[in-house]
Amino acid sequence: MADDLTEYEFPFPPATEDSIAMRDGAAANRPAGVPESYDQGKSARWSPKAIADVHAMSQLGRYQLRGFNTFSTRMPTFDDLVFVPASMTRLPLEGYRESCETETVLGDRPGLVSNPIRLAIPIYVASMSFGALSANAKAALGYGASKAGTMTCTGEGGMLEDEREASNLLVYQITPSRYMLDLEHLRMADGIELVMGQGAKPGTGGVLLGMKVSERVARMRSLPLGVDQRSTVRHPDFLGADDLQVKIEELREATGYKIPIFAKIGATRPRYDVAIAAKAGADVVVVDGTEGGTGASPEMLLDHTGIPTMSAVRAAREALDECGKSGEVSLVIAGGIRSGVDAAKALALGADAIMIGTAALMALGCNSPRYFEDYEALGTSPGRCHHCHTGRCPVGITTQEPELEERLDVAGAAERVARFLTAMTMEITLLAKSCGKSSVHNLEVEDLRALSLEASAFTGVSLAGIDRPFTW
Amino acid sequence: MSEVEILAGARPIREVNEAIRSAVARGDDVVVKDTRSRHNLAIGLGAGARVRLEGSVGYYCGGLNCGARVEIQRNAGWAVGEAMSDGEIVVNGYAGMSAGTSMLGGLLHIRGDAGPRCGVAMKGGDIIVEGKIGYLSGFMAHAGRIVALGGAGDACADSLWGGEVWLGASPKSLGVDTREIEPSADEVSSVEALLESRGLRRPEVDWRKIVSAQRLWHFQSRDAQAWLMI
Repeated sequence: MADDLTEYEFPFPPATEDSIAMRDGAAANRPAGVPESYDQGKSARWSPKAIADVHAMSQLGRYQLRGFNTFSTRMPTFDDLVFVPASMTRLPLEGYRESCETETVLGDRPGLVSNPIRLAIPIYVASMSFGALSANAKAALGYGASKAGTMTCTGEGGMLEDEREASNLLVYQITPSRYMLDLEHLRMADGIELVMGQGAKPGTGGVLLGMKVSERVARMRSLPLGVDQRSTVRHPDFLGADDLQVKIEELREATGYKIPIFAKIGATRPRYDVAIAAKAGADVVVVDGTEGGTGASPEMLLDHTGIPTMSAVRAAREALDECGKSGEVSLVIAGGIRSGVDAAKALALGADAIMIGTAALMALGCNSPRYFEDYEALGTSPGRCHHCHTGRCPVGITTQEPELEERLDVAGAAERVARFLTAMTMEITLLAKSCGKSSVHNLEVEDLRALSLEASAFTGVSLAGIDRPFTW
Repeated sequence: MSEVEILAGARPIREVNEAIRSAVARGDDVVVKDTRSRHNLAIGLGAGARVRLEGSVGYYCGGLNCGARVEIQRNAGWAVGEAMSDGEIVVNGYAGMSAGTSMLGGLLHIRGDAGPRCGVAMKGGDIIVEGKIGYLSGFMAHAGRIVALGGAGDACADSLWGGEVWLGASPKSLGVDTREIEPSADEVSSVEALLESRGLRRPEVDWRKIVSAQRLWHFQSRDAQAWLMI
């Protein structure tokens, strides 16, 4: 048959088009059988968001830029894993009574580092710069962490006096831009972190829009007031692994072999990157998954670069095992950790310690339902706000505007951070004890089962019930 | 005060630097012999320290200097004087890549040529290069002054935030977002005074002063409302 040509004729008069279209009793503007979706435009490819993105970019003439973290719905999550506590084969500990060790030591290399970092809990507050965050926010994180017996990290904007005073333990970041980096500040730090990348935008430098480059921020970064700061991503004085080794030695010489050196990478090829960082001499390797937050980033980098935290942990731990560095080099994991449950699963997958960034901001009051009219002015609402990049944070966390910053009460926020860290730790120890572990660091892959083929394939964790990992 | 000789050779660098530091603490001047282009020599020394390295050195020599006077008899590897905040470093030969990286203050004087990315991410202080500086020199520098008597390679002063690059001869090319401006008489005398303080007189030089064109200071779309569209 040639397409829709047919010679056949019915032995009765041909039907009217109205009859064929079933117009009798149908809606006036649509024959029965024509799907409603024609009106609603349910294209999977050209979703309302995809269309709006084109409209926005065609007006702005640049990529979209925003804060917070990925909105991708395709990330596997720690919710795809469950613990399998002790029962007959193992003995649980009393969850409400018995003690469980939480002390976490980073950079414990006798004979090399004289002052390793001793944390009371296996969690600390991630690097977030003064600039991205207000001074009040930095101080509150510092005091909260100190009360919980743990530490904070400066981020790339230099060492803020308020934070150094607040934090009993403070890691000082060296990013490619080297804002305010000198010997005096190196020697004030309890650890030094060389940043090779971050989870939110691996392979790309930081962004701080002009609205947040206040007088104090500009002075600390030696930048002109109000510029849209876009930082470098490549370090100015080392390129590869061999140079990194020399750089680490320089930092040890500068700080008298006292404090541990961290190397932070965005999760992309953790199996190789972690091995290289460990071999180059880092005491602590920090792997930041793609769910990691940011004060500002080109949006598509958040959604389309890097690999999920859950999948990076196993590869990182296996890399350390394979090069014989486990036990010598500590592994810190970050990126989208929301609770003690997530943190416990990361510990079981192989992390020695966990960093929280966005979760710590939530404890400060990020997205809390107050100052509704200010959320509305940003075109958002509490619980959905991701406007850190604008510097108009309704609750005073990601802003440099004094009247907004005042809304963050340091004492109250610090107490919430301390309580949140304590609550997270209680969640971890409860899970550990149910698995029969007297130390949170004894959690292991065997304590987990995967609820999805994907989670099993990403992590090598055995599938629930069948007790075998998904393999090809 | 006397002069103390310290042998670098194949000794662990930690031991060599410890020897340098204790001699400096005693108030002695230090001469380091048999340098063998070793990395990380004379790191993080403070005011009052005087160290002469007899030979060539490797990476980061004089790094994080806070006031010491460090003299390198021959050539220096990558990032000599990196993150220096004060003091004076003299390289009598050539300097490798990234000389004076992110330095905040003080003076770095290179008598030969400097490699690429000289003064990258610089935050203050002065770099004098009697020869020429390599490609991408001054890349994303914030402040401070680079004075290169022998000119520059490609992409000179690329993406400068602030600061100045002074050239005594033509660059191979200028980097993005740069502007060559006519220096004022006062500015020229300030550079000449700096050179004279180093025993250099160049009255005949037709100076080329490169600064930021400031177009990369902002995204072109600067309307704050535009950031709220997302």
